[in-house]
Amino acid sequence: MLFKIEHLTHQYSDGTIALNDISLEFDRGDRIALLGTNGSGKTTLLNHLNGILKPTSGTIYCEDKPLGYSSKALLELRRRVGFVFQDPNDQLFAPTVKQDVAFGPLNLGMSQEQVKSIVADALQTVGMSDFAEKPPHFLSLGQKKRVALAGVLAMQPEVIIMDEPTSNLDPRATSEILHLLLQLNKEKGITLLLATHDVDMVPLFANKLFILKKGVLMSEGKPKELFSNTELIREVYLRSPRIAHLFEVLKKENNLPIADDYPLTISEARKEILRLLDAVKNVS
Amino acid sequence: MSHSDLYAEVDRSAYTNALAKSSPITKTFFALSALVLCVAAPTFVPTFIVPILIFILCTILILGIAKVNPRLYLNLLIYPTLMLVLSCIFLALFFGTGDPITQISLPWTTWSIYKSGILMSVHTFFRVEGALSCLFFLVLTTSITDLSLILRRIHVPKVLLEISLLIYRYIFVFLEVTEQMSTAQLMRLGKGGWLKRIRGLALLAGNLFIRSLEQAERTFTAMNARGYDGNIRVLEDFPQPNKMMLILIALFNVLLILVIYTLYLTNFGVL
Repeated sequence: MLFKIEHLTHQYSDGTIALNDISLEFDRGDRIALLGTNGSGKTTLLNHLNGILKPTSGTIYCEDKPLGYSSKALLELRRRVGFVFQDPNDQLFAPTVKQDVAFGPLNLGMSQEQVKSIVADALQTVGMSDFAEKPPHFLSLGQKKRVALAGVLAMQPEVIIMDEPTSNLDPRATSEILHLLLQLNKEKGITLLLATHDVDMVPLFANKLFILKKGVLMSEGKPKELFSNTELIREVYLRSPRIAHLFEVLKKENNLPIADDYPLTISEARKEILRLLDAVKNVS
Repeated sequence: MSHSDLYAEVDRSAYTNALAKSSPITKTFFALSALVLCVAAPTFVPTFIVPILIFILCTILILGIAKVNPRLYLNLLIYPTLMLVLSCIFLALFFGTGDPITQISLPWTTWSIYKSGILMSVHTFFRVEGALSCLFFLVLTTSITDLSLILRRIHVPKVLLEISLLIYRYIFVFLEVTEQMSTAQLMRLGKGGWLKRIRGLALLAGNLFIRSLEQAERTFTAMNARGYDGNIRVLEDFPQPNKMMLILIALFNVLLILVIYTLYLTNFGVL
């Protein structure tokens, strides 16, 4: 297992228990959604994975070794686990896009020449090459998010953690970011771990789902399994994706013969509708 | 143009003007050497043609070569020029020595106006305008990023540079926040009386201070997440100066010095 968390508890200095006895694991190449309402502990959990926060109790293992917190171990961990913050203004601190993307790799001790080509590559990947010399305040929010992602990509991470990757983005920027992340997962095998409460987005990328409520891990599994469990979803103050909800209503209110695992995406819904139509045709 | 707009425009120009990609070393060398000549040229009758020449040249460079918006340049020039005109009137009327040109007797004293005072005022005017055009050339064509790389090269203390770059970056973040907050205030209070406005300003300032502390905390965390160890390393990547250009500027400086020297000699009758 790439990451394994055992009995992680985190208590903030003001006494709030943000995470309570959490155990979970995930592997290389996984696409994980961490789902929960505001204040459910998503960000706190993510902050543990690249050593920004230290567990109050419990242990985190990365490739079966417990995380170390010496500055050398942290640097290595932070290279492997890139963190993209929710507000790109928190992350973009340098006067130009290029300087900001270069910050991470320069901290890893790479040479100026190496860093130059890595920065160019990273900006190319996120489609922001034309903005290399521009200051961040010239960019739109979607562009800032992509630059923030490039800043993390430039450190050549194995895992990318994103806190609310699509919050406040317009539909187009949202789908661009999602496609970019999926492409990184597919082509470079980068493990994705995204915290979100955008339930409609989750089925589009995740193969694994963790649901948090008030610092407790309520459930884990495949999106299909968890979203079919409507009671659980309501209990954690979330909702099913709109499409699943539609099929649930069609089944319960209109008694349509719909399978128990509701379709979550448009393509799944399409398949289910065609199946239903076929069934109707066969009867008549 | 409001003040914050003006600053934002200057910043935008520094990144987008037609000279943005040329070497900052060349631009800085030109601006500073012209500035020194402008200020150091000795004061006697015809030498103000040096500042005038520099002013014309800088204006041509700013508007013609760098293609900066003329309205922006004018907006920048107009405030200091207004101040300057007032100071120069003051200089002309109340300063100077030697034989007065005219004397006005007032009940308590005699008010004298001197030729040297008027000369000083004319010199000051052109000198300041020339110097302003040099500085505007630099700020309108060279980005803070490029300037900081030069300052780094001449070994300005790193702490100073890092702090000023962070300030530079977050000025724009907080300008946005300030605008949002003041709009929000306006929407709820309307434009109240003077006292209400002062109160609103105080609230805004207090809030902004707290926000900036939080921002600092979050930025620090984000920097740590990318391996910050107390040193901000930068990519030293900027266009190398064209040697020909540097030599050309140096020659231009020598030429101006020769002009000043010749004027000096002709004026004091050696030639």
